[in-house]
Amino acid sequence: MDFMQISKKDFQKFVENLIQSKEEVVGVVKKGKHFAYDILEKSEQLCLDYTETILPPKKYFLPVEETLLKYKTGVASSYEATYGKSPKVIIGIHPGDMAAIALLDKSFSEGEKDSHYLNKRANSTLIGIYPTQSFPHRFSNSMIEKDAYKAADCFLVDLGNDYGIEVVTEKGKKIASAMKAVAGEKGLNEKIAQAKAKIKDEVSMPFSRRELSEFLHNKETHAEWKKRAEKCFSCGSCVLVCPTCYCFDVKDTVALSLQEGERKRMWDGCMLEKFANVAGNHNFRKLAGDRLKHRIFRKGKYIIDKFGMAGCVGCGRCSQACVANIASPVDIVQELKK
Amino acid sequence: MKPKVAFFDFACCEGCQLQIANLEEEILGVVALVDLVEFREVLTGHAPEYDITFIEGSITRPEDEERLKDIRKRSKILIAFGACATTGGVNKIKNLRNLETVRKEVYQDDWNKPHLNTAPTKAVDEVVKVDYYLHGCPINRNEFLSVVKDLAMGKVPRIPDYPVCVECKLRENECLYDLGKTCLGPIARAGCAAICPSNKSGCEACRGTVPNPNKNAMHEVLAKRNLTVEAIIQEFTMFAVNPEVSK
Ligand code: SF4
Ligand code: SF4
Ligand code: SF4
Ligand code: SF4
Ligand code: SF4
Repeated sequence: MDFMQISKKDFQKFVENLIQSKEEVVGVVKKGKHFAYDILEKSEQLCLDYTETILPPKKYFLPVEETLLKYKTGVASSYEATYGKSPKVIIGIHPGDMAAIALLDKSFSEGEKDSHYLNKRANSTLIGIYPTQSFPHRFSNSMIEKDAYKAADCFLVDLGNDYGIEVVTEKGKKIASAMKAVAGEKGLNEKIAQAKAKIKDEVSMPFSRRELSEFLHNKETHAEWKKRAEKCFSCGSCVLVCPTCYCFDVKDTVALSLQEGERKRMWDGCMLEKFANVAGNHNFRKLAGDRLKHRIFRKGKYIIDKFGMAGCVGCGRCSQACVANIASPVDIVQELKK
Repeated sequence: MKPKVAFFDFACCEGCQLQIANLEEEILGVVALVDLVEFREVLTGHAPEYDITFIEGSITRPEDEERLKDIRKRSKILIAFGACATTGGVNKIKNLRNLETVRKEVYQDDWNKPHLNTAPTKAVDEVVKVDYYLHGCPINRNEFLSVVKDLAMGKVPRIPDYPVCVECKLRENECLYDLGKTCLGPIARAGCAAICPSNKSGCEACRGTVPNPNKNAMHEVLAKRNLTVEAIIQEFTMFAVNPEVSK
């Protein structure tokens, strides 16, 4: 990994030039009292000093709703795949979200490759940033280890007047040279390491992710699931905001003429009551407690067992989004430990 | 043969039929798919039978129940159309109070005239069997179109069985609870693209609730926001969502 640096002023200039070059540039912007990823129209909109965005950046690779193919009704050979575009550059991704993208990269390339995801993903350069503000629900440090570096092209680290840059990939190298970033002065990597450690997580998982997987091993029938589920709305907010969730539903929509149609996929989530409903009206996760248990097992056990990667990256969005205030994986694990 | 379609209205503002009239170009597509035999009472009673009947409005008089039963007999598929029809809607607020008081308040000196007689409000399915529901006050035009297309293709129409929070999250709204407001989104049935929270106004569940709403949890969340029991009940009653909380 190379260490480079750039003044904040020059970085903004670079972003402005990128926008002017008519490339689609996405970054973190203010949204009311919160933050969101959005297409930048001016470099001033970019807000890298932020808590956490409402939705994670995966929405650019796995859109909330996307058309997979178009067809003429009744003509089996008529279908044609459609591919959406993704931004050229996404700026401001926190390490947790970066680790989540690494997981999506992995799962969408396993077996039958998901070309809709992978095409978009290949098109984008990802510029990360280490958090500059604490977010009360975040616990990424205890979950992600080095996963973020499997997806990031480069990471920014706030050094006051400058950004330190960790250059990770070839794409990262290219963009760093496009910014006219300079090779770091002596001691830059120590400075970067110090700055990265400055913002501490306010909560943390009491286990490493390996330990967590083992800990959950015999917790399937723990009374906590049912108890906690009494407060659950099955509203799905906790999974819809989660950067590591990749479930979707597929639906055909035909035009009013009934002559042509589109196959679309849209986000879905296992906390919704009818998610596991199958033909014959059977629901294999009928109870809210079963769904809550499934979610935590998926985040804390199944994914780590299958891929050796974090199924939960500790971004804290679920805790923030849950109106009932019961979704925090840390709180749940603490209860299971009692 | 194109399916024969009829619209009938009962106690309502006809805002839902207005949504159909407002379809503009798409109305031509609808007319190409179906044979519109009754619309806005203009042709009432002329066609003897209907393949698909939309019932708008709630049932508030004994004679309306008879009329509805007759329409049901002549309809293959009957769809409750709009909140007034699917849940009783705002009209059900009347049921919370003594009928005589309500009549005096509305009709003043004429309250006891026979043509102004009124009974407790009922949703359509409290009187006849309903095959499908198009919720909302008013209905969502896209949902109407998709139901029409599904029925024309012989498919079972699917209406959302998940809560408004889903659509709200997908639009990346700031949650109103994070802005110090309240919202029935977690228990309300989606299908409106979360239009109210998207405009910073709490959902009042005009589409009724999801099939298994966790009302206790909703009550608890609202109580934590310092809402009194009265305020909670008020929050629930705009669209006849039984709060199931005791005073
Ligand atoms: S845990 Fe919270 S956010 Fe998740 S479904 Fe239940 S109530 Fe909704
Ligand atoms: S489970 Fe919660 S904390 Fe973990 S990645 Fe998903 S939203 Fe973030
Ligand atoms: S549901 Fe609302 S818009 Fe539709 S008829 Fe009733 S009051 Fe009017
Ligand atoms: S504003 Fe309402 S609908 Fe939207 S997420 Fe919050 S509670 Fe749910
Ligand atoms: S947000 Fe709620 S009140 Fe508003 S239209 Fe949708 S269901 Fe009705």
